[in-house]
Amino acid sequence: MKEMPEETKKEPASGSLTGAALEAEDVLAGAEPWEPVETKLVVWSLVIAAVALIIGLIVVPTSILHTS
Amino acid sequence: MKMELVIWHDGRNWVVKNERVTLAARTLDELDLEVERFLRAHGLVREGEMTEVFMTFDNSTIPQWIRQYSQHYFNRVLEVKG
Amino acid sequence: MTDLSNRRWYSGMLTQEDWWAVWLGVGFFFLSLFNLAGIDLVGWITYPTKWVLHPPEGGKGAVSHAFYALGKKYSVTAKGFYKGLGWWSVLWTYVVFTIATCIGAAFMRWNMKRFFTGWTIIYFLTIATWFVGHHAFIAANKINMKQYGLNFALSLGGGGSFILALIVGLVIGNFFKPFANYLSEAAKPEWYIKTAIVTLGVKLGYLPIKLAGFSHKLGKEAASLTFDLFVAGAAATVVAYLVFWPGVYVISRRLFKLPRKTAAVLGSGISICGVSAAVATGGAVRAKPVVSIMVSALVVVWAVIELVILPGFFTHVWPGTNDPLVAGAAMGMSVKTDGADAAAGELMDEFMRNKIESETDGAVIWPSGIITASAVMTKVWIDMFIGIWAFVLALVWVYKFERRKGERVPVSEVWHRFPKFVIGYFFCWFFLLALYFGPGQSGAAEAMPFLKTVKAGAVPIEKGMRKLFFMLTFMSLGIITDFKKLKEAQFGKMVWVYFVALFGFIIPVAIVIAYLFHHGMQIPNIAGFVK
Repeated sequence: MKEMPEETKKEPASGSLTGAALEAEDVLAGAEPWEPVETKLVVWSLVIAAVALIIGLIVVPTSILHTS
Repeated sequence: MKMELVIWHDGRNWVVKNERVTLAARTLDELDLEVERFLRAHGLVREGEMTEVFMTFDNSTIPQWIRQYSQHYFNRVLEVKG
Repeated sequence: MTDLSNRRWYSGMLTQEDWWAVWLGVGFFFLSLFNLAGIDLVGWITYPTKWVLHPPEGGKGAVSHAFYALGKKYSVTAKGFYKGLGWWSVLWTYVVFTIATCIGAAFMRWNMKRFFTGWTIIYFLTIATWFVGHHAFIAANKINMKQYGLNFALSLGGGGSFILALIVGLVIGNFFKPFANYLSEAAKPEWYIKTAIVTLGVKLGYLPIKLAGFSHKLGKEAASLTFDLFVAGAAATVVAYLVFWPGVYVISRRLFKLPRKTAAVLGSGISICGVSAAVATGGAVRAKPVVSIMVSALVVVWAVIELVILPGFFTHVWPGTNDPLVAGAAMGMSVKTDGADAAAGELMDEFMRNKIESETDGAVIWPSGIITASAVMTKVWIDMFIGIWAFVLALVWVYKFERRKGERVPVSEVWHRFPKFVIGYFFCWFFLLALYFGPGQSGAAEAMPFLKTVKAGAVPIEKGMRKLFFMLTFMSLGIITDFKKLKEAQFGKMVWVYFVALFGFIIPVAIVIAYLFHHGMQIPNIAGFVK
């Protein structure tokens, strides 16, 4: 798409975007195939959570390791 | 060299604008190509140099009831090499 | 009108609600500190008390005393003046907060006429429900109902007023939609709750001062408890978020076959911090803004459903009064949006305190606000963490998924997504802690006159202003919540993703993680020190 001709240039209106302005298909359909990088993102997130959990349980004085 | 643009989505297109230009495209990829084309056509990218285009999101396009929850969508930087 | 409030790091300071919560909260906190110079500028803040139409002979609860200026009880320098205000304190409070909020609204370029009339209507509706909710039949419990000549009371404490405010708001929002639409300019639950959270910082800092008034040991216990909540909340939040997000992402992608960007935005929206996360993640993954907007519309409705269900569930089913701070922390991790979470925490605070007092026949009384603080603490950490997580997602999306040539993610994004009201919350908390540990000598007997003047300023803010802004939040939440939105066909699968993820995954995991870090934490018992 080229530069917009002057007469079609539109200023952003206040709060111009609403859910109704869009077909749900745009948001809900067209799922891409699962990619290895998504597996990585999910697995790494869980690994960091596990590490944070172990460190947290050791370091935080009110954790169940210290209170039970 | 630096250039600033305002960016928003109008429901169909991503649009960028400043006092010199308004560009629009369906995807950010296409929009970036348009911006690059504009910079080269107007001599805004010099050989061997980098032009940084800073795009500030226009929050007014987000409905006001949502802005109370979160007031930032994104700002992005596009680097175009000469 | 273009809004570029995030062009520079400072450019939104006078135009964003987040900052205006700081200016309102910290501004009134500073006014309260004039007490140290012998001038009480905040004692006019109004507060309700329990009432009945026909108080028994020698009993309590005259309607004429249903509202009073807090300075009547706590002021050191102007007790006589504030005693005379009575119901007029409602008008004083209206005038001062109207001026303050209108200044904010003007800077934020809202429609002033609509804001002023909307605010006025919401304020007086709030006062009316606050009044009705303090009828002794609703608010008293079996320990004190006899003083009001009652043989039965609902034992809801201040929680009854919150529920009423929410109901009145929901009736307006669902049955009087044009009116709700008109009020929407002033129905700002997030602004009100962020302001209330800043004043909750005053509450946290004041807690050791208050308990030091009972005993030196209790004061120290309170300071230590608030610090424990701070640390445990941080650890629980990081773990929870990093489990929630991938879990909901996988549910959305594999079970419900949603596109990658929608799944990412839903992942954040459902996971923890609702609308703010949905918007932050939408921007981070470069989704069309409308994706975040649709998810947000869903989040606000579900958040209110959680607000209605969870406080009662946690109080009466599990973990009850055995582990109130586990319940608080789990609430903070389960309920989306700051407004609904803090409101749910406050409601549960009222429920739990009344329950323990009734169960033990008054042998155990907990100071107010600690359970709320535990619910807000995890939420505050989450609000800060989403900025960092959104930045990580932006890096993954821009550099790994989409690999757009030449695009760079500016680090300033972390700051733009940082919840600014948190600055006010921590500032007030640590400022008062500094007064407690510094000139207050950790509650030593010789420092009590000094701490009493601090108290005279802090109580109207942490009690009167905080509760009023909580009430305004409940009312506004109701007004902007339209349950019909859940029926709208275009949400389709998203409603079910939300339902499955929330009840099948988020809430159970939140409870487990909250338990791991908060189990056994005790709230100080002040029964021997209060009437």
